Order: sequence, then structure tokens, then C-alpha cells
Amino acid sequence: MEEKLGEEIVEISAMVNGTSVVLRTPANRTMLSILREDLHLTGVKEGCGIGECGACTVIMDGKVVNACMVLAPKMDGATITTIEGLGDEENLHPLQKAFIEHGAVQCGFCTPGMILSAKALLDEKPHPTRLEIREGISGNLCRCTGYQQIVDAIESVAEGGMEEGR
Amino acid sequence: MITKVVGKRVERVGILDKVTGKAKYGADLEIPNALILKVYRSPVPHGIVRKIDTSEAAGVDGVVRIFTAKDIPGENLYGIINKDQPVLTGEKVRFEGDPIVLVAAEDEESADRALAALRVEIDELPAVFDPNEALKPEAPSIHEKGNLLFERKIVKGDVEKGFTASDIVIEETYETNMLEHAYIEPEVGVAYRDEDGCVVVLVTTQNPHSDHAQLVSILGVEPEKVRVIQTETGGGFGGKLDISVQPFLALAAYHLDRPVRMVYSREESFQATAKRHPLKIRMKTGATRDGKLTAMKAEIIADTGAYGSYGIAVATRAAVHATGPYEVPNVYVESKAVYTNNNWSGAMRGFGVPQIAVAHESQMDKLAESLGFDPITFRMMNAFTTGSVTPTGQTLNASVGIRETLKKIRPYYEQLLREADATQLSGLTGMKYGVGVASMWYGIGNTGHPNPSSAQIEVDHEGNVTLFTGAADIGQGSDTVLVQIAAETLGLPFDKIHLVRADTTLTTDAGATSASRQTYISGRAVYEAALEVRKQLVERAAKVFKVPANLMVCEGGFFFPQYREFQKLSLTDIIRRSLVPGEVIRGEGYFNPETTSLDPETGQGVPYTTYAFASQVSLVEVDLVTGQVGVVKTISAHDVGKAVNPANVEGQIFSGVAMGIGMGLFEQFYPRKTKSLDTYLIPTAMDVPEITPVIVEVPEPTGPFGAKGVGEPALIPTAPAILNAIHHATGWWVNRIPADLETIRGLTSADEMEKSKS
Repeated sequence: MEEKLGEEIVEISAMVNGTSVVLRTPANRTMLSILREDLHLTGVKEGCGIGECGACTVIMDGKVVNACMVLAPKMDGATITTIEGLGDEENLHPLQKAFIEHGAVQCGFCTPGMILSAKALLDEKPHPTRLEIREGISGNLCRCTGYQQIVDAIESVAEGGMEEGR
Repeated sequence: MITKVVGKRVERVGILDKVTGKAKYGADLEIPNALILKVYRSPVPHGIVRKIDTSEAAGVDGVVRIFTAKDIPGENLYGIINKDQPVLTGEKVRFEGDPIVLVAAEDEESADRALAALRVEIDELPAVFDPNEALKPEAPSIHEKGNLLFERKIVKGDVEKGFTASDIVIEETYETNMLEHAYIEPEVGVAYRDEDGCVVVLVTTQNPHSDHAQLVSILGVEPEKVRVIQTETGGGFGGKLDISVQPFLALAAYHLDRPVRMVYSREESFQATAKRHPLKIRMKTGATRDGKLTAMKAEIIADTGAYGSYGIAVATRAAVHATGPYEVPNVYVESKAVYTNNNWSGAMRGFGVPQIAVAHESQMDKLAESLGFDPITFRMMNAFTTGSVTPTGQTLNASVGIRETLKKIRPYYEQLLREADATQLSGLTGMKYGVGVASMWYGIGNTGHPNPSSAQIEVDHEGNVTLFTGAADIGQGSDTVLVQIAAETLGLPFDKIHLVRADTTLTTDAGATSASRQTYISGRAVYEAALEVRKQLVERAAKVFKVPANLMVCEGGFFFPQYREFQKLSLTDIIRRSLVPGEVIRGEGYFNPETTSLDPETGQGVPYTTYAFASQVSLVEVDLVTGQVGVVKTISAHDVGKAVNPANVEGQIFSGVAMGIGMGLFEQFYPRKTKSLDTYLIPTAMDVPEITPVIVEVPEPTGPFGAKGVGEPALIPTAPAILNAIHHATGWWVNRIPADLETIRGLTSADEMEKSKS
């Protein structure tokens, strides 16, 4: 079978959720499939595969990106945070706590991406207005919640500050 | 009644897993050695399949098996109300996307290569895309029995006499949009055959027991040879009531000795699954000068597309609800569901009621304006009350909260009017501000059909309490609400109850998660099961304390004889003293709200035991230059009977308003053109305003703790409230949705032309 363009193998070395990761993979794979299939980080969701829904949002070098739109070579040298790296059951991030307290989750499929967009927003702008929060999460589609309890949750963290978390 | 768990904002069941990314949706299940399934779909909207040549595809590296219609061991036909849809079609294709061939391969690339190597010859037939055209005798016939799927009539009083006695009659045509559910999780599932030869399907679904029944029929096997387990489900909104990946998974797992896995891409999810029925509605409404409605006549045509799905339910619900929540003495409705070669339409949040509400609420505002009443006053003069008779002849005996919801929004309405005026004065030229009101009613549960639910609660010898329910939580929160009801009834803390849900082997049928029915119907079934368990526990406790059972108190997980709280024993203490290992206490609960089937000629009957009611007011801004309409504020008052979990109820209200904004202002699915979320836009956080939810609780005597439902009602008043606000802002009546940029710009330029003429 003929080799398709982009199927050459690249070596990637990245920092994912605080752990150094080295892997060899075809260059035409997306970061989404690498995170989900190779690294088993299934908190990163696929909703559309074309960068429209935001379900695969992760933080890469401090900025939110849609993992479905990033090809493997771009991961080399990058620092990546997924929902799994933000906090776990015993050590919830303040945003995760706030999402629970405010009932900001229904089906939960957009939640990981939504929380990461909120984190990137608050990292850059610790005290946003409600409108700025809405802007900050406007790349993350949610069909269940109508967004209001999500905005409430993020606002409560902004008001309380992020100091208590990491 | 003082409650401890019901009525409280308890933490949602499963939310910890969802915020940490641990929750397992179908695509997250790791099944070693699983094959990938993909489907070849018809590239044409109507035709006869002449030849399917799979030889080349079968030879593609990595392809394990190719299935066509002839591989289906049972009945190659499904459908939730009427069976008319093939799993794999071998004869006729009826829409662009009809499945023809199923491929099982080692990986996605091999499956894709196989799809490309298939040779399917189809003789194309003339297609019909307009339901009115489809009803003409010369139209191409899509199904053997013709293109009319169903017609529902509602006849009450004498509608023509009613119009004669009217001082004013308004007649108008309304059109609503085809919509995509656009849940963020596309369809997905995995399947395998277990050691007993049972085909196990783990799938995203809102209807596990119906899935099970349909798979049993498609495979032609005994019921115990199929098991459906609901995975964590990323939204449904009606779109996951019909089967999607289920029959493909089951078919492949049945034939192969390998587990299988299937994930729809967003594009396939758009193409292959149900849409919201677009409706064309001709509505004529009469009233007297003093503001009493006299008569309403409606003709409704719903485009059900290639297959029936929930078309019959949609046509019926639209007809039954066509007056809105108002007493109208004379009613005549004809409602048809019609086949076309468009994508098939099915259930979507509200089953035709959000569509018909656009018509009846526009009519109400037109009448109110003509007669000189404000919209709330006019609605209040006609709104149902206890004792009112509906168009189907049902007397409403309890929980009629429509007037309460109108009263609640009145002050907000006045305030928004002042805001609109003030903003108009200080605002930019070219911007118009307006306030609109809309109300709704919604029957809870299936229309005129039995729709029981069942549940069990078990307490084992160690005191573990488990609730078994077949109800699928798709994100709306039934897990939480059902556990709350069980905990409250048993007098136990919320977190004491373990939940087993939506597994056709472990749980019994709770009916579909649809028709806003799970809190009301499954909630009552859970309540009944809990009452039974409580009774048995109290009897056991009475024996431990050696007192009569009627003197026992059960509170907060403790039991004690009256006035002897100091002697209290925990549930675990009672259980340990009265159960031997292996023994369980078990309670069965069942509830089937009373309904009667509707008379086929007149539609008379009792379609639902209870109804939810709501009223909403919205402030909108209309940009005359760009045509953009924005919703600035919304206040939405819902009579839910009892809010078992107020945070969940509010979540549903926020959600419904958001979805209604998309429906009212920009969502439009174009068959054969709309492919994905890049062209089908759903509301972002920037499109949705701050929403004030108002919970009204007029208890329903048959509901658990008085509860009814809110899932679909939340959506229904939104689009009509927006249309009425646009009228208030601009003077234009918009009679079709979405009221998108083109519509508003069209009205602006028509206005300008008119002005330049004069």
C-alpha cells in the first residue's frame, strides 16, 4: 500500500499534566487522538472534529486550543493540561468545586473543556465581569445548561480568587 | 409538608466524575480487540437499490465482514411508534443518508477504504421535499401505503358558530424550522457477546428498554439474549430516543466473535438521525369585544421526512395543545404528519408543542392588540383554571398553575416595558427595543397511551440501600431527583442510597426519558417502592423494640418508638438484628398515570393526567441595520407542581430558554446541505442573556410530593415570546421562525420601500 502524505513518523516530547511524555506517532494524527488513545486521557472529548464545539479544549502553553485542530508535531516541546491534570477527587481545583456547587453540569460532555477555558480565562484575567466570562467560554458549546450556572460558578471562583487552588 | 431532601439543592449524582473527566461516555470505553463499524449511506434522496457489489470492499486489507440487509436475522424494520424504517435497506432509499451496507474492520482507515470500494447502484426516483406537494395524488410515493402517515382531528363544540359569534377573527399562516438536536456527544456505543451468548450493547440512549425490544426483534432472538446498558449520555433532547448505532452494533456482535465499536462523526450524526418536524400551521382564532376567546381552527402539516419515528406523536401533540393554555369553547383542528424525502423528523424537546406555541401565542398577541388589552390581561381573561375543559373534553381538576405564572411575570413585564422605553430614548438610532410575553401548557407523559414506570428498592442484610430504575439520566438529572424521592420517603440521608440505572438486565422498564415524564412517573414509581420498603422496615423495627408498628418513628435514618428517641437505632442496627445474611427487604413500585385513548374522529379523551404551565417575558433588541435580534433579558415562570431539586429545575429553565433562542432566531437545518456545527449554529454563552427563573408550585396530587415536569416546558414559550417582543419593538409580525438576519433585513427594506412610495 502506498504511503500517504503526512504518514511519516515524528517524535514528540511534551509535558502532559506535569508528566514528561515521549512518543513516536504519524505526523498526521491530531493531538485529540493522541491524548485520548495513546495517553488514555478520555476527559478530552470529541464533539465535532472541526474545531467548532470546544469539547476537546485543552490548555497548551497557557492558551486554550481545540485538540482536534492541533497536529502531532505541534505537541513537541509543549506543556499541555487536560482536565485530568487540573484536579482529582481528593484535590479538586476551585473551578471543579464551583461547578459542583452551582450545578453547572448537566450531561457533562462539555464540562472538561468548559472548565479549562474558564481556567485559562481566570489565569489571564482574575476578576472578569460576567460578560467577559461569557466571552471567555464562547468557544465552548453547551446544549444543556443555558450557560448561566456555568457563569455563576466561574464568577464565584473569580470573586473568591484562585489562591486557594493551584 | 416539611421535607428534608426533596426541595433541596442537593449535589447531582455523578457530578464528581464529570468535573474530573472520569465519567465514561460510550467513546471512552476501552474495549480491547474491538472492530470498528461504519455505514455506507445513500447518496441520493429517493431510489431503488439495484445492485450492491461488496466484492472489492471485502478484499480491502483489515476488513473483517460486510453486512447487507440479507444478514439481518430478524425483522429488518424498526420504528418507535410505527415500524417503517429498515436497519439496512436492500430495496428502497428514501432520503440522502439511508443506510445500505455495514462494514466491520480492524481500524477506521480500513473501514473507510472499504466504504470507498463498495459499488452500489441505485435507480434514482423523483423525490418530493415539500409536504404539501407530497400529499398531491401525482406525488412520488415514498412508502407503499402513501405519503400521509397520520391525521389527528380534534373537534369540540361548533367552530363555525363560534366564529359567527365573534367580534374579531384573526387568521394567519405560521411556519417553523427543521432543527438538529446538536447534543454535544454524537451517537456512540460498543457491543460484544458475553459467555452466555447474550449480545450486550453499551450505548448512549434515552430509551434503553425500547432499544432492547427493538434489537430483540431485529435479531429475532429471545429477550434474554440481548442486554442494553446505558452509558453516560451526553445529552439527548429527543434525538436519542430512536435507535441509531444500536442495530449496527448488535448485528455485528451477533455475527462476529469480536467486540465492536461505532462512533458517529458529527457529520453522520447530523445526516443520519432525527430532526425537529417543521410545521406549517394555518390558524384562525375568534374573540368577543370584551376579550373572551370564542373559537379556534387550525390546520397543521408536519414534515416527518423519510420515516415515521415520532411523527404520529408530534402531529397529535401539536393538535391537542393548539389552543394554548386557554379555554376555547369551539375548536376544530386537523393535524397531519406527511412523508417526504427529507431527513426524517422525530422527537425533539416538546414534540410539536414548541412549534404550535409560535402560532397560538402570536394569535393571542394579535387579538390582544386589536382588542386593546395588554398581553397579560388578555391571557389572564382566558387562561385555564380549576374546572376548565380542554379541547379534548378533559376537565382540569388540579394543579392548574397558568394564572399563577402570569401573575408572577406581571411585575417583570411592567419593569421591562419601562426599561425598553428608557433604552429606546437613550439608545442608538437603528436599534429598537421591545417586550414580549408568551405562555404554554404541556401534557406530561405519552399522549393518550399507557406509559407506566416501575422501580425497585432493596435493603440487604448489611443495610445497603439500592434503588433500581430503568430511567436513563441523559444529563437532565433524573438520577438525582429519583434518589431524592427515595431518600425522602425512606427517611434516609441522600448519600445513603446506591443507584443502579438503565440496564435492561438489572432494571425494569421505566419508559423513555421523554415527554418530561421521569420526575412525575418514574418519581412516583420510586416513591411507591420506597413506601413499601419503609413499611417493611418499620415492621422489623417494631419487632426489635417490641412495640406496635404504628408507634414507630422513622426519621433521618433512625428508628425509635414514639417519645423514646433516646433509644433510637440506625437502619443498619435494625437490619443487623432482623435480617440473616442473604436476606433482603425489597419494595416494588409502579405508576401508570390515567389516560384514555383519543377518539379517532373527534380527538376527545384524556391524553394526560396532568399538565405543566408556564409564562415568560423577554426584552429584545432589534438592530434594523444588520437584522440581528438579541435577547437582553428573560424571566420565565414555571408551574412544576413541586421542585424536587430547585437547582435542577432552574437548570432546565436556563437550558430551555437557550435552546428557544436558537430556535427563534437562527437555527435552521437544511436537508442535504447542513453538514456540521460550522454552518448549523447553536447558541453560545454570548447569545444567551441573564435569565430569571421563577418556580411556581401548584401541587399535582398524583405526582411524587406534588411534582410534575419541566424539561420540555422550559423551551416552549421562548420563541413566541421573542416574536411578540420583535413586534412590540418594530411593529412587524414575524410569522415564521427563525427570525434571522435575512428575515429582519427583509422587513426593514420592505418598510423603507413603503415609506419611499408615500
